[in-house]
Amino acid sequence: MIRMRTSMAARLGWYFSIAGLALLTAACGTPGPTQPATGSDVARSVLGNFSLGGINVGAAASAASHAQDAFREIPQDEEIAMGRDIAAGLLGAAPLAKSADQETYVNNVGRWLALHSGRPDLPWHFGILDADTVNAFATPGGNVFISRGLLVRVHGESELAGILAHEISHVVLKHHLTDIQKNAQKNMALDLAAVKGGGLAGEAARAVARVGLEGLVRGLSREDELAADQMGVVIAARAGYEPYGLVSVLQSLAAMPQDDAALGFFLKTHPSTADRLAALETEMPISFESYAVANPALARYTRVFPLPRNK
Amino acid sequence: MKRLAVAMCAAWLLAAQCALAEPAVTVRALDLKAQPASDAKTVVSLPVQSAVDVVTRQGAWVQLKSGRSTGWAKLFDIRLAGSGDAAPAKKNGTGIADTLGLAMGNRGSSVTTGVRGLDADMLKAATPNATEYAKLASYARSKEQASAFARAGNLKSREVSLLGGQTENATGAKK
Repeated sequence: MIRMRTSMAARLGWYFSIAGLALLTAACGTPGPTQPATGSDVARSVLGNFSLGGINVGAAASAASHAQDAFREIPQDEEIAMGRDIAAGLLGAAPLAKSADQETYVNNVGRWLALHSGRPDLPWHFGILDADTVNAFATPGGNVFISRGLLVRVHGESELAGILAHEISHVVLKHHLTDIQKNAQKNMALDLAAVKGGGLAGEAARAVARVGLEGLVRGLSREDELAADQMGVVIAARAGYEPYGLVSVLQSLAAMPQDDAALGFFLKTHPSTADRLAALETEMPISFESYAVANPALARYTRVFPLPRNK
Repeated sequence: MKRLAVAMCAAWLLAAQCALAEPAVTVRALDLKAQPASDAKTVVSLPVQSAVDVVTRQGAWVQLKSGRSTGWAKLFDIRLAGSGDAAPAKKNGTGIADTLGLAMGNRGSSVTTGVRGLDADMLKAATPNATEYAKLASYARSKEQASAFARAGNLKSREVSLLGGQTENATGAKK
């Protein structure tokens, strides 16, 4: 088992806070001592799961104290626990690719990049998803994924670094975490219903995963994506890569037929590739040209990844 | 022929960068430079929408071939022409990987499309897979391992400031 136990308290903290929010909403809607079924049932079942039964979570006062949690700074251990649940959910949709060498390689590049970010000490995990579609994902707390379908369009370590550094930036800037908080109330309306009849172990984890996956489906704002591009090229440059790796990848994606089925989901959840390239051209200073290096470590890259895929 | 070229290219990859030219188009009028530097001698001036071939890349620069001339331009000055411009769209999303005979798809599925997708519906329907997460965690690298990997690849850390007034982490960033 994957240290789920240690994360239980953290997950419960987060979970309880959104459950509390739902309770408050319910209590406001139906004043009086009788609890609306949804909120209290859920709270009891969740608390019962974790042997914390007997607490009167139905009290509106208690719920009120949690309502503001939707806007609090989520502690790092809770963020990590949430991100773990969401990552496990993502892996439920697409498992890891089968090559240990490739997974290790991506973790080496990713961890080296993360060491040059504002959050070097997170438990960073990098994974190749066994999917032919083009995409990359991040979940809070330091989990980063790249699809096999994107990887086969990568021409070397600098391009891989460009993609991973973009995803690392989402984690550093807490884009998904903030997005989940913003949407927590809306999401919980869905998830409370799912949890209600449950009472099975792991139900809270499933609920958190569901909230997070909804976020990945919704996609981040254009502003967040461009911010991740902007920070990503700097992280890549700091780690010794040429910062234009991301630009090269985006150019390759822009050259694909934009109605290619492999791009569908990616383009639904990201600004147009042309838009991103235009922003990068404006933002990347001339001084970045001095960071140009001949594609580093191409030989070792091609030993692990069959090279492209030129057109 | 292209197939053969790709196959041969794949065979020689370990030697150096693959020199198979990629078709591209200039997105603005530009001067091809003799070296990858703005103050280098101009080889030839090209109008916007010129068809060129990318010979190689080097940081912010690409080496382009235009007719008999070869020279350097900025990466942002071109867009790759891509199959989408000339050929009907490929719907299966595997592209050249097919040509190279890479194993794609057909994994754990009796469906004959040969493509393993990952889309919104699959994410919405997903149930957490703790076993795969444990596997993911097992591949994690320590700081020391990642640093050794960087040294082996001759990667050197640099001091680089963030762009556009960004801060190092979310603290202080707008919510």
